[in-house]
Amino acid sequence: MPRRKPVPLWTIVRKEIIANLLSYKFFIVILLTTLLLFTSFFVLYKDYKGRLADYELVRAKPGEPIAVLPPNPLSIFAKGLDEAMTRSFEVSRIGIAVFAGQKSGNIIFAYFPTPDFVYIVKVVLSLVALLFGFDQISREKESGVLRLMLSNSVSRAKILAGKWLGNFLSLSVPFLLVTLLGFALINLDPGVSFPASSIGRFFLLVLTALIYIALFLSLGIFVSALTRRAASSLVILLLIWTVSVFVVPNLGTLVSRQMVDVPSVKSLSEKQDQVWTREVLELIMESRAKNGRGTGDIAKNHFDAINRELNQMEEDYRNKFDRLVRLSKNINRLSPAASFVYASTELAGTGIGEESRLKENVLRYKDSVLPNLERGEKQAAAFAYRYRSVGQVLAQGGLFDLTWLVFFNILFFALGYVAFVRYDVR
Amino acid sequence: MTKQNPILRAEDLSKRYEDGVLALDHLNLDVRPGEVYCLLGANGAGKTTTINLFLNFIPPTTGTCYIQGIDVTKDPLEAKKYVSFVSENVMLYGNFTARQNLEFFAKLGGKTNLIKEQYYQVMRRVSLQEKAFEQRVKTFSKGMRQKLGISIAIIKDAPAVLLDEPTAGLDPKAAEEFLEILGELKNEGKAILMSTHDIFRAKEIGDRVGIMKEGRLVMERTREELQYEDLVKIYIDYMKSEPLTA
Ligand SMILES: Nc1ncnc2c1ncn2[C@@H]1O[C@H](COP(=O)(O)OP(=O)(O)OP(=O)(O)O)[C@@H](O)[C@H]1O
Ligand SMILES: [Mg+2]
Repeated sequence: MPRRKPVPLWTIVRKEIIANLLSYKFFIVILLTTLLLFTSFFVLYKDYKGRLADYELVRAKPGEPIAVLPPNPLSIFAKGLDEAMTRSFEVSRIGIAVFAGQKSGNIIFAYFPTPDFVYIVKVVLSLVALLFGFDQISREKESGVLRLMLSNSVSRAKILAGKWLGNFLSLSVPFLLVTLLGFALINLDPGVSFPASSIGRFFLLVLTALIYIALFLSLGIFVSALTRRAASSLVILLLIWTVSVFVVPNLGTLVSRQMVDVPSVKSLSEKQDQVWTREVLELIMESRAKNGRGTGDIAKNHFDAINRELNQMEEDYRNKFDRLVRLSKNINRLSPAASFVYASTELAGTGIGEESRLKENVLRYKDSVLPNLERGEKQAAAFAYRYRSVGQVLAQGGLFDLTWLVFFNILFFALGYVAFVRYDVR
Repeated sequence: MTKQNPILRAEDLSKRYEDGVLALDHLNLDVRPGEVYCLLGANGAGKTTTINLFLNFIPPTTGTCYIQGIDVTKDPLEAKKYVSFVSENVMLYGNFTARQNLEFFAKLGGKTNLIKEQYYQVMRRVSLQEKAFEQRVKTFSKGMRQKLGISIAIIKDAPAVLLDEPTAGLDPKAAEEFLEILGELKNEGKAILMSTHDIFRAKEIGDRVGIMKEGRLVMERTREELQYEDLVKIYIDYMKSEPLTA
C-alpha cells in the first residue's frame, strides 16, 4: 500500500481561488468595487485639492490669532471629521469665532456625498465578503462535492480553513492592488504632501480594512454552515448586515442621548447671549452711576466675568458632550462597523478623538494669546498642532478597536467550525 | 477463491435516525479483495444509510464499520485513505473542466504529483470523449459526469470502492461500459460494494448479492448459487412478503 501524505491546505485554497476566478460573480463584483474605489479616490482627491487651495486663502497671516489647519491628505481615504477640523478658529477678546473652513465647492456633494474608502469598505466590501461566504457550505452540499471531498482523508477543519483562506485571498488581493495603486497614483502629485508617517498610517488603515472584511467572510461562512439552503443563509446575513452596518451605529447615539442630557448647541449659545446681555447691562448701569469715571476697570471686571462664566459653561458642555461621545462609542462598538470606523479614522487623524484633542488645543491657544490681545497687542503667536502619533492613537482606543475586530473574526470562525463539524453533509 | 481478510466490514451495524426511523437493523456484511458485492432493496431499505455509515457521514447507533481493518468512527481520516466513493448523482464543480475536477479530487485522494497525461489516461479508460477532457463539467450529460465520477475513484487507487446507485439514469450502453470498468477494478483486487436497483446487472457483475428490506439483510447469495436460482423471482418474493416489523 503506498503511503499517502496528508492533503496540503493549499490544495483546497487553490481550488477556491480557481473556482472564484472562473465565476461571473467574482468578476462582476471585483469590477464594481474597483470602479467604486477609483471613483472615490479620484473625486476625494479633487476635493482635497480644492480644500487645500481654500486653505491657502484663509490660513493665518503672521501674527493673526487664528487657528486653522490645512486639510489632512489622508482624509482622501478617511474623511471623518476633517471638514470640522479644518474650520478656522479666530480668537478675539469676546471668545472664539468659528468659520466654516475649507468647504468642498461641490454643492452636489450635499445630495450625493461621495463615499470615502472607509465608507466603501464599511458598507460595500462587507457585503461583498458576505456574498463570497453565504453559500460556501450549502452550495457544495447541494452539488454533492462536499460528500465527495469528505470521502477522502481530509478533516473538516482543513476544508473550512481552506475555504476561508482561498476566499479571503480572492477578495483581498484585488482589493489591495486597487487600493495601493490608488494611493501610489495620488502620491505622484507633488501637491499632495503626505507627511512621513502617512505611509505607516495608510498601511495600518488598509490592514484594519482587511481585518474588517475578513470578519464578514467568517460570518458568511458561519451562517452558511448553519443553514441547509443558500437562500435562507442570504436572508439571515442581509439582516445581520443591515443591523450591524446601519442600525446599531445609530442606535448607540440615540440611546446615549437618552442617558446623557446634553444641551443643544443653540440653547448653549442662547445662554451665552444672556450672560453677555446681563453683564453689559450691569456695566452700563455701573458706569452711569460712576459718571464715567474709572470705567476701564469696571469694563475689565465685567469682561473677566463674562469670560469666566462662558468658559465654565463651555467646559460643562464639553464634559457632558465627551461623556455622550464615550457612551455612544461604546454602545456602537457592539457593531464591528463602528469599531472599524473609529479605528480607521483615528489612524488617519480624522477621528473623534483627534478632533476633540484639536479643540482642546485651540482653547489652550486662546488662553495663551488672550492676555496679549487684552493688552492691545497686534501680534499673536502662531497656532501649531501636532497630530497624535500612531502609537498614541493605538494606545488611546485604536488598539482596542483592532483587537475587537480580530476577536469578532476568531469568534465567527470558531462558531463556523463548530457548525460545520455538526453539519449534515448528506 | 482463497479466503482473504475482508477490506470492507460491517459488524452488527444499526442506525436509528433522530426521528426514530430504524433505517438499519443489525447488519453484518463483508467484502473481500477482488469481490463485487451488490446491495439490492426497495427504496428506503437502507442501502444509502449503509454507505453513509462506511464513510462516517453519520454515526452508527450500534456496531462498527471497518475499512482495511480500521474502525471508521475511531479513525475516520486513516480509514478514508483506503476507500473511493462514487455517489449517485455526481455534480462536481461545474465551472471546472473535467481535468481540473479530476486533478483536485486526485490531490484530495493523496495523488499529488500526477501529470496531465496521467489524468487523460484515466479519462480515456472510462471512455470519456477526448474533446470533453478540457470542457467545463456543467456542459456534461449525466453519463459523462458519472464517468468522470468513476475516474475520480479510479485515480485514488484505494483498495475499497463504495458506489451508491452508480448506473441510475445511465443509458444501457453507458451502464454496460460502466460495469466493464467495475469488472476491471475487481480484477485489480479492489473490494467493491455497490448499491443498485438493477437486478440483471447485479446478477451479472456481483460475486455476491444481498437483498435488504427495512434495514435488514434478508437474503444473500453467491454467484455460484445464483446459477441455479432466479434472482428476479427471489427479489420479488421478498418484496411481496409481509413487512418484517409490526
Ligand atoms: N436523515 C434522515 N432522517 C430520518 N430518516 C432518514 C434519513 N435518511 C434516511 N432516512 C430513512 O432511513 C431509511 C433508509 O433510507 P436509505 O436512504 O438508506 O434507503 P435506500 O435503500 O438508499 O433507498 P433508495 O433506494 O431510495 O436510495 C428510510 O426509511 C428513510 O426514510
Ligand atoms: Mg439510496
